[in-house]
Amino acid sequence: MEDLIEFAVDMALKKGAKYSEARYHKKAGIDFSLKNGELQGVEVINSEGIGIRVLADGALGFASTNILTKESIANAVEVAVKLAKNSSKLRKAPIEFSEETFHRVSYEVIPKKDFSGLNMEDKMDYLRRIEEDVLASGVNVPMRFIAYTDWVEERLFSNSEGAWILSKIPYVNIMYNLVVYENNQMEQAPFISTAFTGGLENIDMAKPWDRAVEDAKVLKNLITHGKSAPEGTVDVIISPEVAGIAVHESVGHPYESDRIYGREAAQAGESFVKPDMLGERIGSDAVTVIEDPTLPNSWGFYLYDDEGVKARPRYLIRDGIINEFLLNREYAYKLGTVSNAAARAVNYDREPIVRMANTYLAPGDHSFEELIEDIKIGVYIKSFNEWNIDDRRFQQRYIGREAYLIENGEIKNPVKRPILEITTRGLWSSVDAVGKDIEFYPGTCGKGEPMQGVPVWMGGAHARLRNIMLRR
Amino acid sequence: MHDINQKILKMAKKMGFGDIVILSNENERKQVRFANGEITISKEWFERKTEIFVERDKKLAGTTITNYDTHHIENVLKNLYRLTENMEKREDYYGIAEGPFKYEEIEEVYDSKIIDADPVDFIESAINATGLERVAGVLYVDHPKIFLDTSNDVECYDEGTGIEISIRAFKDDLASGHATHSSRVLSKFKPEKAGEKAGMIAKMVESPTTGEAGKYDVIFDPLAMGNLLSMVGMFTSVMAVEAGFSFLLNKLGKKVADGSFTLRDIGNLPNGYGTRKFDDEGVPTRNTKIIENGILKTYLLNYSYSKKYNLENTANAGVAMPRPWNLYVDPGDYSEVEIFDVPRAIYVTNIWYTRFQNYVSGDFSTIPRDGIFLVENGEIKKAIKNIRISDNVLRMLMNVDAIGKHLEQIHWWEAEVPVHVPYIRIRDVGITKATK
Repeated sequence: MEDLIEFAVDMALKKGAKYSEARYHKKAGIDFSLKNGELQGVEVINSEGIGIRVLADGALGFASTNILTKESIANAVEVAVKLAKNSSKLRKAPIEFSEETFHRVSYEVIPKKDFSGLNMEDKMDYLRRIEEDVLASGVNVPMRFIAYTDWVEERLFSNSEGAWILSKIPYVNIMYNLVVYENNQMEQAPFISTAFTGGLENIDMAKPWDRAVEDAKVLKNLITHGKSAPEGTVDVIISPEVAGIAVHESVGHPYESDRIYGREAAQAGESFVKPDMLGERIGSDAVTVIEDPTLPNSWGFYLYDDEGVKARPRYLIRDGIINEFLLNREYAYKLGTVSNAAARAVNYDREPIVRMANTYLAPGDHSFEELIEDIKIGVYIKSFNEWNIDDRRFQQRYIGREAYLIENGEIKNPVKRPILEITTRGLWSSVDAVGKDIEFYPGTCGKGEPMQGVPVWMGGAHARLRNIMLRR
Repeated sequence: MHDINQKILKMAKKMGFGDIVILSNENERKQVRFANGEITISKEWFERKTEIFVERDKKLAGTTITNYDTHHIENVLKNLYRLTENMEKREDYYGIAEGPFKYEEIEEVYDSKIIDADPVDFIESAINATGLERVAGVLYVDHPKIFLDTSNDVECYDEGTGIEISIRAFKDDLASGHATHSSRVLSKFKPEKAGEKAGMIAKMVESPTTGEAGKYDVIFDPLAMGNLLSMVGMFTSVMAVEAGFSFLLNKLGKKVADGSFTLRDIGNLPNGYGTRKFDDEGVPTRNTKIIENGILKTYLLNYSYSKKYNLENTANAGVAMPRPWNLYVDPGDYSEVEIFDVPRAIYVTNIWYTRFQNYVSGDFSTIPRDGIFLVENGEIKKAIKNIRISDNVLRMLMNVDAIGKHLEQIHWWEAEVPVHVPYIRIRDVGITKATK
């Protein structure tokens, strides 16, 4: 494969490209699900091919092929160069890439409990355990959809500036949807995932079967004992899960440099953040948001991005101040800096674009008890179902699934569907304290056209928000 | 590709599989993306792949291959055989459709002139039509070929073309308009129309102010309603219903929308971007009334689910999951002027980020983007911003108040399933905004 990659990179230069890169990208794994206890069948995941991206005459061209012959790759290279040159007709200024230091490296995530060596029955046991434990929980859960997916992703990236990166990363994900009926009422815990890079040892430790039983019991408790959120202005504690979605949506996305410069305007939108807002306050001193692809076993893990740049933690907000954007080489050049390795491509047939990896609210110094002790009336939002945000990333909403009333420093009855509908500045300016401990939750972040759903972690610490009007 | 399909089919039969579906695709696809009035990247894909579905004693397995070496195919099939050895049976599996079938030619789904069209010219004309500088979007040129062979006497082929544009024009950060246009034949492709509409909406936005929460009649532009119905369409699949991802659970034969509302899936729709001659089991695609005059008539089914529910097969295989081809709202009697002729309403030109608190009850919210306007006595009164539609899908369908006469085809980044839909007005829609 190395020969084909080098051939593609060299040929593009010979055809007139100023810059070229080629990426072999393979995914192999398995996917199956239980719907209400019944196995739906099994799908063997199998995809491989080469994507070629070139810069020629100041424009970008991309072509891919899943026919791994020299002839087919040569054709893809010719197409990519031709597309770039043809596109230059509608360029006002040439696209340039930042200067980077590149490496020749290989890295691999080595699982302790390797799913590749297991047969399907062993993997099925994970789903059966969730199914059986939920059925034995004493909660009426008539609709259950539980899915298992694993795959190994192999990449070989090379470019015309000396990068050569070989990587191998295993992924495993267990997801469930539970619909609970009690007292003729129904509540739902949809798309709840437990996911890691690495082996099944991570799933064994996370115990999604316990979480599923807990979710079922929580929904039953919500139906039988849940009350509306309190009226008026209250204090709100958001959990690591809710803080995670909030930092992902209202910090990670608007700090993506391609959005800031309008490249995604007709799809996922632009950003309220402008290039000159670096250094501007967006939240309280208590708020620091970190984006770190290098967290071991994280769902968004990588050490080198899909432009061959070495990854590092990015501090998007430091002590309430906008500190750094997520950058690829194109937008790093525009900002006169270097990339911070945010370019990701989900498959061989996709271009690398600016993405998050693992975004989290950095820990503070409060225990959970300290966070709630002086709250007279408040709501603790522990998990969420519905969420969305406008395409400038300033008007967001999160609706609690599991939530509780806080009264005089104590957790009381469940609260039904508290709605936190708030601006980005309103949210992060309201945080006056952050918890000590952090947790992470997996998700699939959608962006790009064609769509590229990339694995990410979202999470961080608990946060206390003062003076919030919840919708009911 | 039929040769390859037949080779795989024979090898799978010999190995002992029962039902077998071999679906090969050859797709040529071009994309040009643009933003700020200039091209950001051009792409081209040529992809050849074969999807394999096999059944053995009610145990189901599938995969996709791109390597057609005999030894490789044999290993792939052996792996599937091994996987099904100790697998549990799927008791509600009733097989695949029995062929052979007759297929009728469908008009306006293939035009060789599209294949060699230069996308850049179309983009220039669409951008110019907006009358604005800051314009973003994407243009696709498609040329798919499908080859299907099954163990139940099906051997069929389909080839199509398509060209489509999605374009968003900005007057400034808070004044934008979006429009899309899709066609299977070049003679009906009018990218400048999309450009004109996107530019027109953007120019209508003057100093928008934050809207107020409450209940409003909402006039949905075809783009906005298409986005919502594209997602709703996925919930009409029986698979979504059974898995707890649909508000249509237990609603067969019941009223789920206003009597004026009829929603179809038309797999053989001329010039439909999702049109195909046959589904993944080879059954000729058809015109299916999903909701007829407000009553839910059927879920979308494949052969096996049609047997399970004792309903007529709607020809929407996916062997694993039935899916819609082209959603289609029957036109109503209202002109655009009549749709807007209400004392007070909000006109929403586009929405995105539709998410559900509860899929089974249908509680959800979605966010209007681009031009949003307060309408009073049939006139655009002013532009507003920063609102959210927070309601329930069933309640909204029940509250359909007026359906326009003219349908537009909506298919873009936010509307994965093509939807043919007119302007629709809905009564008493919940509108919320941020509290801080």
